[in-house]
Amino acid sequence: MISVAFAGQPNCGKSTIFTLLSGVNQHIANYPGVTVDKKSASLKYEGETFQLVDLPGTYSFSTYSMEERVAKRFLLDEGTDIIVNIVDASNLKRSLYLTFQLLELGKPLVVVLNMMDVAKRRGAHIDTEKLSSLLGARVVCAIGAKGIGRNDILQAILAASHETVKNTEPFESGPFTPEAFKIDYSVLEPHIAAIETLFHEQTPFSRRWLAIKALEGDDVVLEKTGVPKDTIAPHVQDAEAKGDSDVDQIIAGIRYDLAARIYGACVTEKSGQSDLFTARMDRVILNPWLAFPILGLVIVLIYQLSIVSGYKLTDYSWPLLAAVKNQVIAWLPAPQFIDVPLLTDFGIWMTNSVLALLNYLPIFLILFALIAILEDVGYMPRMAFILDRIFKRYGLHGQSTLPLVLGGAFVGGCAVPGIMATKGIADERAQLATILTVPYMNCLAKVPFYTLLLGAFFEGHMSQMMFYISTVTLFIALIIARLLTSVFLKNRETAPFVMELPAYHLPTLKGVVLKAFQRVWLYIKKVMTIVVAVAVVLFVLLQYPGVPAEKMAGFRERADAELKKFTDISEKTAYHDVLDPPEKIYTLINAYDGYRAKRMQAKSGAATAAVDAAFKTTYPDLFPILRGEDSDAKKLNRAIRNLSTVNKQIQVAIKNEKITNSFLGSLGRILEPVTRFSGFDWRVNVAFLSSFAARESAVATLGAIYEKGKTDISPEAALAEDGAYTPVHAAVMLIFMLLTPPCIASMVVVKLQTGSYRWMLFAIFFPVTMGIILSALFFFLAIQFGWTGVETMRGFYLVVVLIAVLTGLLSPKKSDSHQSLPLL
Amino acid sequence: MSTIAQPCTTLSSLQKNQRGIIRHCNADGLLKQKLISMGFVPGVEILMVRNAPLRDPIEISLQNYLVTLRRNEARLIEVLAL
Repeated sequence: MISVAFAGQPNCGKSTIFTLLSGVNQHIANYPGVTVDKKSASLKYEGETFQLVDLPGTYSFSTYSMEERVAKRFLLDEGTDIIVNIVDASNLKRSLYLTFQLLELGKPLVVVLNMMDVAKRRGAHIDTEKLSSLLGARVVCAIGAKGIGRNDILQAILAASHETVKNTEPFESGPFTPEAFKIDYSVLEPHIAAIETLFHEQTPFSRRWLAIKALEGDDVVLEKTGVPKDTIAPHVQDAEAKGDSDVDQIIAGIRYDLAARIYGACVTEKSGQSDLFTARMDRVILNPWLAFPILGLVIVLIYQLSIVSGYKLTDYSWPLLAAVKNQVIAWLPAPQFIDVPLLTDFGIWMTNSVLALLNYLPIFLILFALIAILEDVGYMPRMAFILDRIFKRYGLHGQSTLPLVLGGAFVGGCAVPGIMATKGIADERAQLATILTVPYMNCLAKVPFYTLLLGAFFEGHMSQMMFYISTVTLFIALIIARLLTSVFLKNRETAPFVMELPAYHLPTLKGVVLKAFQRVWLYIKKVMTIVVAVAVVLFVLLQYPGVPAEKMAGFRERADAELKKFTDISEKTAYHDVLDPPEKIYTLINAYDGYRAKRMQAKSGAATAAVDAAFKTTYPDLFPILRGEDSDAKKLNRAIRNLSTVNKQIQVAIKNEKITNSFLGSLGRILEPVTRFSGFDWRVNVAFLSSFAARESAVATLGAIYEKGKTDISPEAALAEDGAYTPVHAAVMLIFMLLTPPCIASMVVVKLQTGSYRWMLFAIFFPVTMGIILSALFFFLAIQFGWTGVETMRGFYLVVVLIAVLTGLLSPKKSDSHQSLPLL
Repeated sequence: MSTIAQPCTTLSSLQKNQRGIIRHCNADGLLKQKLISMGFVPGVEILMVRNAPLRDPIEISLQNYLVTLRRNEARLIEVLAL
């Protein structure tokens, strides 16, 4: 097997070429210890097996950025047989800077000139043969976006691989040409030669490359080769004295000089028409007056297309999921009157938990596709360019815009894609701060909870309250970001802002679709497993220790009395035999409930007839009762309706009792001493605790606790009627809810993206603690000053906005001047 | 009227559409590495393309492509204004 590493500068179209070669069977993992994606694929071509690895995009191998460290470490640890260097043909001069460094590694190199069409449009003609002979490497042309060049690239790799087979020894010289590619570093040469003699062990790459890296003070190389930095220091001092500059600038100057000469020799340019399209586009898109309106339009469009229409799309996908759920329920053992088998309870719980997340897949798919388009087009860095000044003040980065919008800048986003979209942020501190603040934005699934409370307590002030809820989150996020970056993340590496504004490209359908599906798949794979595990734990916590025996005996007594009433009636009817063993009555209850539910759904006469026919075949003997076909059946129909209602009441009472008595209920009570300052009793605590698995279940749990067997009123009414809570309680609950992290799925993504469980725990406990403190504070203030619920919320809103504006005005001092290397 | 930058100045004080030649890079550490690998080396000609709508960061053109950097980063690059 031959290993092939793909290297290239950012925006050179490397992933397009990688996809072109590998197709869809790519394997995505992380490089060890970091969150940089590692794409690999296995490929068979003309009887040879190639293992392709996509290295992170790097401008060079000399800087300290995470991507470049990762790429270098991978090459040093794993080695590679062949390197494929993807080059943006329309940007050849700058790209050669990396190409030279790859050549110095001493491995066979295949240079892929990508985007030849763009280069041609810019009026550049590249003499590839001349380039090939000057570099001593194979050069092939490709247009990745149009799928052109696959065969040529594979042929070149194959040809290069035959060279390696001949040269299995560690290289001192490149195998493609007799003389290895060699740059003359003039004043540095004696030092490079001297350092080369320091390496004793065999290395997978050329000694000259290692020596150059060592001279640059590259810590990864020094560590790998075991050469102490002190040994190199005199060489560096001497060289810098002779060269009258520092080593980095001397080396870079020589490389760029050579790049310019090679470029001059191989490329003929028709001047005047270069970059015209990009320049024209930018004149509009980055125009001082138009930039913000256009940005706003893009954001609203993304929001509309993904969240709004994606939500509409779930209207179509939900019936499919509901069908799955019904099928699962059909497989599970049927309830025996008030006794619901544990397996059935568990099955329904798990199905609900999983489906609640699957329900969001259409939204994710659209979102990820739109993000992929924005990335491929080249708008992302321009978004950062427009907004950086604002975000910088809060320790964030211009590139934080999109993650925050996706997280829910208006009412209802989702933290999962939001956190995933932080991947491109170059500045580590700003990236972490963005990851940790996205969960403060308004998650879609929090909305039902808001509407429940607003409906119950703020009937007349709905729109005002909704305005506070939907706009306060961005201010909260900004304050938190500033707090995090100036306290908790103070010592994190900050990266220079310097970044390329790439020329605009048309995205390809294949690339966009592939990216979107890959990210959705990642979500399903990584998030689902954890959510399932948490759902199991939560089920146990809610289910056990169960209803106390004496309470259960009470329920059973009531159930038996009702059953007796029913049998008294049925004994006097013609259906006496049909309902003989009592189990038959249980079946009748289930059939009755099922029949009513199905009849309610059936909208047309034909559908109703179909339901009738289905039940008639399944329950031939019970069907007359379901329909109330004769006078005896009518009597029984009334009796079974009554029994079914009682059954439901008892089951809700049991469920309520079960939650009250459960471990989670106990936990809710244990927390009461802490939460009572915010006015939360144990029932609210239980709702918040259980909502963590998925936000929707807060409503369900609250509903279950407050229904107390009254099935005929809405949860809103039940809550308002309960009397234990005032609008102030509700306002404080809203404040708490605004601050708490959305769900376990988003926290798993925090873990994925930060690569650490510690940050995940921080992302959970920091907001919760803050939520408890702030809700207690505002509860106290509200009581002190006799505020109404609306006034409490308004007070909270004004305080948050004021703090956000003030922190923004206080300029964030020195942290700007990239002193990432401490002055010792 | 805007003051035209002195011949020997920093990148951050170039006016829109003004050209310059990089003389020296005073940055160090990560920023210096980044600037070098993006092509900011002495002798290279640059063009100040535009300010961001909020005046910071700035966009410049060099080595045939477009780069954006913050003003406090641009301040560290000495240029000879043309």
